[in-house]
Formats: sequence, structure tokens, C-alpha cells
Amino acid sequence: MDSYSMTRDQEKAVLDLVTNPLPGSELAKAKEFGVDLTLFISTLRRSPSERAQSLSDGARIFEIAKQAQIVRK
Amino acid sequence: MNLEETIRILYDAGVEFVVIGGVAMGLQGSAHLTKDIDFCYARTPKNIERLAKALEPYHPVLRGAPPDLPFRFDAKTIANGLNFTLSTGLGDLDFLGEVSGLGSFQDVLGESDVRNVGGVDCRVLSLEGLIKSKVAAGRPRDLYVLPELRGLNELKKKTGLD
Repeated sequence: MDSYSMTRDQEKAVLDLVTNPLPGSELAKAKEFGVDLTLFISTLRRSPSERAQSLSDGARIFEIAKQAQIVRK
Repeated sequence: MNLEETIRILYDAGVEFVVIGGVAMGLQGSAHLTKDIDFCYARTPKNIERLAKALEPYHPVLRGAPPDLPFRFDAKTIANGLNFTLSTGLGDLDFLGEVSGLGSFQDVLGESDVRNVGGVDCRVLSLEGLIKSKVAAGRPRDLYVLPELRGLNELKKKTGLD
């Protein structure tokens, strides 16, 4: 895995922005829409390779759920 | 779906591609999950040949088509078509010759970033590109992800994150 860490300042800035988005900002609109902005804290900490692994894991969960649905039918 | 393996296979075969769609969203930092991998591919004869050869060992078939429908994902088929939704031994893969709101491969390439995935530097559609394509596609499922993409884009710009 390649390393891909945020600086301490960036971590702080991300945390500030997702917990207190500025009124009228795109982040505020997303929050109002129902997006859980705190998820960005973990996704942005990951390297693209780690994100790729999460996507593959997520797809496997989809597949397991699909198979379970087929078995139930 | 094995994203890293699929990207590695296309890269090793010399296929020119840009990762688009839900996987591009995830690679750019969205929490979105998806079960298929979407690519935009170059429509040059050489690239079409490479794509067909790269996927041949994984027995691509048209997703959702009757199993007895004759289909070969070869250079001729790719050249005669444009967009393909495939089931393969690597999982569900979609190959698009054009992307709504952006255009052909060269336009998509111009809207992409380089991301290192599993040791491979590959092209991934940028957040700006994703937003343009989702707006243009305009389906409910595209519009649904726009607030997250716009918020993420703003967050990355404000914090200087790549």
C-alpha cells in the first residue's frame, strides 16, 4: 500500500469543515441533503489503493446480499 | 469485483482507459459503493485490439443477455459498437466510448487525475469531471450523488488535498 496521509493541519481543516460547514457552502448543502460528511474524514485518510480495496470489499458485500436474495427466492 | 487486479490487467495490456463512474467517485474519496467498474476507453484500432485481447481470458459476455445469444468481445465487435456492459471473470465491467457531458476518450482524459492504485498509475475521472457527467446524465441516481460530489470537491479544494 502506498502511504497517503493528511498533514495535521489538513486533518484539522477537514474536521472543522465537516463538523461545522459554512452556511450556504456545498458542504452545508450536502449535509442538509443527508450526506454524512464525517465519512470524508476516513475516506480522505486512505490512499487510493486503500480506497480501491474498500470498493472491492463493498462489491463483495453486494454479491453476498444478491446471492442471499436468490437463495430466499 | 477485484478493482486492483482489473486495473493491473488493463495496464499490463497497454489499454488506454480512464476509470469513471462509481469507482472513480470512490477513488476520489467518496463513500459511495458500487458493484461494477466503469471505464472510458480510447477508440483507436490499436487500443480496441488490446482491450479485446486483455479481456479474452475472462470470457466477457453481455450482461443480462440470454446465455445462448452469440457474442464475442473481439476487436470487430468493439469497433462496431461503442458502449458495452459486460459480465466477466473479473466481475461486471462497463466500457464506454463516450461519457455524457464530457465527450470522447480524449475529452475524458483531459478531465482526469493520475491515481496510484495497487502500484499502477492510472487515470481516474476528476471530481469536476464526475460532476459534469452526472449533471449531463441527469438520471435520478446521478442527481442523487451530486450534493456529495460537490461537497467533497469543495472540501478538497479548501484543504489543498489532492
